Parts: sequence; structure tokens; C-alpha cells
Amino acid sequence: MITLAWRNVWRNFRRSLITIASMACGLAAIMFGQSMIKSVQYQLVEKATGSITGHIQIQHRNIKEYKFPDRYIDDPDAVEAVLKTQAGIKQFGRRIHMTGLIASPKTSMGALISAVQPEREKDITTMASYITRGVFLGKDPKAIVMGDRMATKLDLRLGEKVVVMAQAEDGSMGAEAFRLAGVFHTGSETFDGQIVYLPVKAMQDLLVVGNRVNHFVIALNDIGQTDVIAQELREKLAGQPLQVLRWKDVDHEIVGVQRFQNALLDIVLMVVFAIVALGVLNTLLMSLFERVREFGVLMAIGARPSWVMKLVLIESFLLGLVGTVIGLVIGSLMIAYFGRNGLHLPLGDALSYFIPFPDVIYMRYEWSSHAFAAGSVLVVSLLAAIAPSLRACRLRPAEALRHV
Amino acid sequence: MFDGGTHPHPLIEVRHVTKVYKSGTKVSALSGLSLEFQSGEFTAIAGPSGSGKSTLLNLIGTLDAPTHGEIFHGGRKVTGLTPEELADFRLRHLGFIFQAYNLIPVLSAVENTEYPLVLQKVPAHERRARAMEALRSVGLESLAHRRPDALSGGQQQRVAVARSMVHRPMVVLADEPTANLDSKTAASLLDLMQGLNREQGLTFIFSSHDPAVLSRATRVVHIHDGKLADSPAPDGVA
Repeated sequence: MITLAWRNVWRNFRRSLITIASMACGLAAIMFGQSMIKSVQYQLVEKATGSITGHIQIQHRNIKEYKFPDRYIDDPDAVEAVLKTQAGIKQFGRRIHMTGLIASPKTSMGALISAVQPEREKDITTMASYITRGVFLGKDPKAIVMGDRMATKLDLRLGEKVVVMAQAEDGSMGAEAFRLAGVFHTGSETFDGQIVYLPVKAMQDLLVVGNRVNHFVIALNDIGQTDVIAQELREKLAGQPLQVLRWKDVDHEIVGVQRFQNALLDIVLMVVFAIVALGVLNTLLMSLFERVREFGVLMAIGARPSWVMKLVLIESFLLGLVGTVIGLVIGSLMIAYFGRNGLHLPLGDALSYFIPFPDVIYMRYEWSSHAFAAGSVLVVSLLAAIAPSLRACRLRPAEALRHV
Repeated sequence: MFDGGTHPHPLIEVRHVTKVYKSGTKVSALSGLSLEFQSGEFTAIAGPSGSGKSTLLNLIGTLDAPTHGEIFHGGRKVTGLTPEELADFRLRHLGFIFQAYNLIPVLSAVENTEYPLVLQKVPAHERRARAMEALRSVGLESLAHRRPDALSGGQQQRVAVARSMVHRPMVVLADEPTANLDSKTAASLLDLMQGLNREQGLTFIFSSHDPAVLSRATRVVHIHDGKLADSPAPDGVA
């Protein structure tokens, strides 16, 4: 039966080729779309977690705005002791995030102050790699680093004095002088124009909070382990007034973007599947109409109606299989090409307002998604064959033999 | 099960069969026809175009169902069987030859010939041997691997004969088997069918309106306007 089905597939070479081409191009387009969106999402998460959020954060339990924790962790040494024993952590660091005022000799402006542990920060975020002038934070306890937009607005040059003012826990204003050690350029308007980095110890002194911080940032060896490690930390820190947050809790807007993109992808998938199904249906109906007499002959010599139905389904499956294999090859080659050379997308300009985001997307294989798409094309080709196969098996042999 | 030839029943019995086609207007193709066929016959069904010859063959061959009446093969009633049961019945007991040859174009001569055995799930080596034997008996062994489009009309009809007999049916039904052939090729095909009838005892029932073809038959049943044109026996059986 398979031999007969295979030869039937190729008896109208041009028509089968067009159907197979439409399936292959459809699948390749789906794979490309999946890869592009997943690659954008991957880079989005990578940049967000790698520039500021980290993979996991530990904050006070009663924080309302995760990005600007307004409560302090009272016993950071106890948290550090737990983190040191936790497997899967690449690095962690104490941080204070808060808003404040940055003043140069000429002017002042509001800013997000990110007070970090300089010696650990290079293993948590990639901010040091964006330095274009001077150096990132190091051993200098009074160093400050800012983006080039802010430096320009404040009319600051390397080595010049900057005063940082922030509100202490008791409501009083603290102020401390720093020297501009480095200037970075990320391409993100937010980072380059609104964020300053300084040592956490200096910030603790400025705010008079002792050794307390308002959160810990943790970078993992494998982002895929986020949920597992977050849960383990929750269990280890149970009893303390703390909460363990995953990157997707802190950067929930990224999750929203991902959901929107996934929904968009699903709609595109459905449209492509509908096109594939209509193509297969058309091919099978044409083929069926041309071969009504032949089905009559097969039934006359003893083929059961269910056998004829199976024959049509196998023909469709083979058609789908060839289209799927070719589609997988074309899709894989496209992804490999843009994975190596990158794909320039204007998306970078839009996203880089919020986080450092490149214009070039390096595409990655998403084999579970690709396998789903390939399987769906096969299923669609089978579903499209149900109506023609039912029609074929309901033919009455005598009527079929009279068909011209 | 089918028991043609070894019991008191006729090989095929057609009882009071009527066939009405309903395509817009009702057309009566057969009207209360009753007939019997015995094993080993070489019977022709004769009549002008539209007389009901093909309809009768289709009903005997279980390719169509009568509007009224019953048909028995070897004493077993076949009217009323399900489409799946009828397919199994045809596969085991009937062979068909069509006017337009009706070979499967994507299969070679030997593949066409062996297809009833494929449907019977006969092992590959056995069915190929039997198909080659059938082709040998119709003189086409050397063309076994040609596809139908590389064969002449006469050769294609010989392949159809080989296909109709490869599974050793009790009867071969042939609807105007020589109508598309020239007279020389038609005579050659009839020689072949007669030889198979005489030497292998294969029962043939075929339709034709060609006197030269009818003259070869050992029995001729004449049909006109869906009724027997011969003087029927008192009980209505020809």
C-alpha cells in the first residue's frame, strides 16, 4: 500500500511539488518566526538580568515596588551565609537601589542610584563592559560611574566631584561627595541618562544604615535553574521576613512582552497551518476527482472501503512528510545563517530605551518549538485528508467505475 | 461460505432482480430478472446498448445493489452484505475484466497482476511467483515490468485477464472486454479466455453485442430493455 501511495503522490509531479513547496515554505517560515521571537526573548532576558536585575533577588517581605525596595534587610550576614552554601550560584552581591539627587558644580538632576559591591558586580552584570572612558568601580571607596548622557547633562569630566544626595531611613537627607571614575555608554537612554553606580559601603555610610542593604542580587550558572534555586532559597530563608523573587517577578513587564509575542506567534502559526491545510485539501480533492474510476477498480478487485481511506490518508501523510523534511532543512539553514551572521532588527532601537539592547539578533534553534511545528504540519496534512478519504471510501464501486 | 461447483446450488442465481436508477427521473435498467449460471460456463450476455448488460454484470459482481430481488453465489445470499463484506467476497471469489482495461497506471504489469494477492496479504515472494505465472499464461511474461502506458490496448487487456485470474476466483466477469480492441486482438483475447475456460475450468460471464464475440460463447443470454429476450423457463429461470 505504501508503494502505491508513494507512486500516487508523484503521479502529478508539478501539483505535488507545489503542495510540498507550500508546506516546506510554511514550516520554514514558522521555524524562522519561532526562532526570531524566541531569540529576541532570550536576548531580552539576558540583557535585563545581565544589566541590572540578576536571576534572583532577595528583598524584605513587605516590599511593594520590587525595583525600588523601600525596606532594608536587617540581617544581611545571615542571608549571605545561606547564599554561600547554595549550589548553582555564580555570584551574588549586596545592593541598595534608591532614587536620589546628583549634583555637579554646575547643575543637578534626579537619578536612580545603584549601590553595588564592586568586586562582585563584574560577575553579576555586564555594566563594566560598557565603560567607554575611565574605569568601573574598584577599590576607590568614593568612586562613582555614570552614563555618558548624564555626564553630558551634568557637564562632568573624569575625576570631577559629584555630590550624591538621598533620603535616609529616618527621613533626613544625606549627602556625600564622590569623584567621577568612569563613563559608560550602553545605548539605552534610561541607563545612559538616569543611572549611577557607586560602592554599597559608601551608600550605607551616606544613609547611616550600618551594614544593611535593601536587596541581594544573585546570578546563577544556569538561568534554567531559576525556579528550582528560588524555591530552595525560600525554604532555607523561611522564618526570616524576606521574599525570594525570580527575574520574572521583578521584570514582569518582560514576561508580558513574551506573552504578547507568543500570542502573536500562535496567530501566525494558525494562519500558516490554515494555508497548508487548504493546499493539501486542494491537492487531495483534485487527485481524488481524477482517480474516482481507479478507486472503483481497486474496490472491484477487493479493496475494502477502509483500505481505500487508508490509502488516501497515507498519500497525504507522505506528502506532509516530504514537505516537513524539506521545511526543516530550509528552516534550519536559515536559522544557522542568521545565527552566525545575526539579523538586524529595528526592535533594538525600541527596546534599548529601557535596557541595553543590541540591533542585531543572533538566532537560536528552539527545537521543542520546531518539533511542535513540524508535528503540526504533519497532523494538519492528515486532518486535511480526512474529508477526501471519507469521500473516497464512500464511493460505490459501480458508480466509481462509470466515472469519466 | 462460497461453495461453487460442489453442491446442488447453481454457481450464481439471480432472483427477480430489479434495478432502478434515480438520477432526476427514474430509469429502470432491469425488471424482475431471474437467471442462473453454472460452474464452468463460458456465457455471453448479449443485447443492444442500454439493454442492462453492464447493470446485470455489476449486480452479479456485487459492485452495485439491486433495487429489488436477491442474488446468490454458491447458495449464499450476497445482497444485504456490508461494503466491507462485499469487498472481501469479491477479493476471494470474483475476477473482473473491464472494457477500458482499468489498470493502475503507476504500477507495472506484474504489480497490477499481483494486486489482488497484495490485498489478500499473500507473502511477497509467493504473490510475485503467482503473478508471473498468470502473466505467462496470457503470454506477457517478457513485458512484466512495463507500466500500462508502455503496453498496447491488447496487451493491457491481457494483463487485466491475468489480474482477474491470479487469485483463482470462481468466476470472471468481463464487461465488453473486446469493445476497445481491433478484431484480430479481440479474437486473440477470446482465444485466451476460452483456453482458460477449457483448461483451467475458469467460469467466464461476459457481455457483448458483437456477433463474432457471441459466437464463441457456449451459452448466450439475450437481454432487451432490462428483461430476458429469450423464452424463459416456466419458473422464470433462463
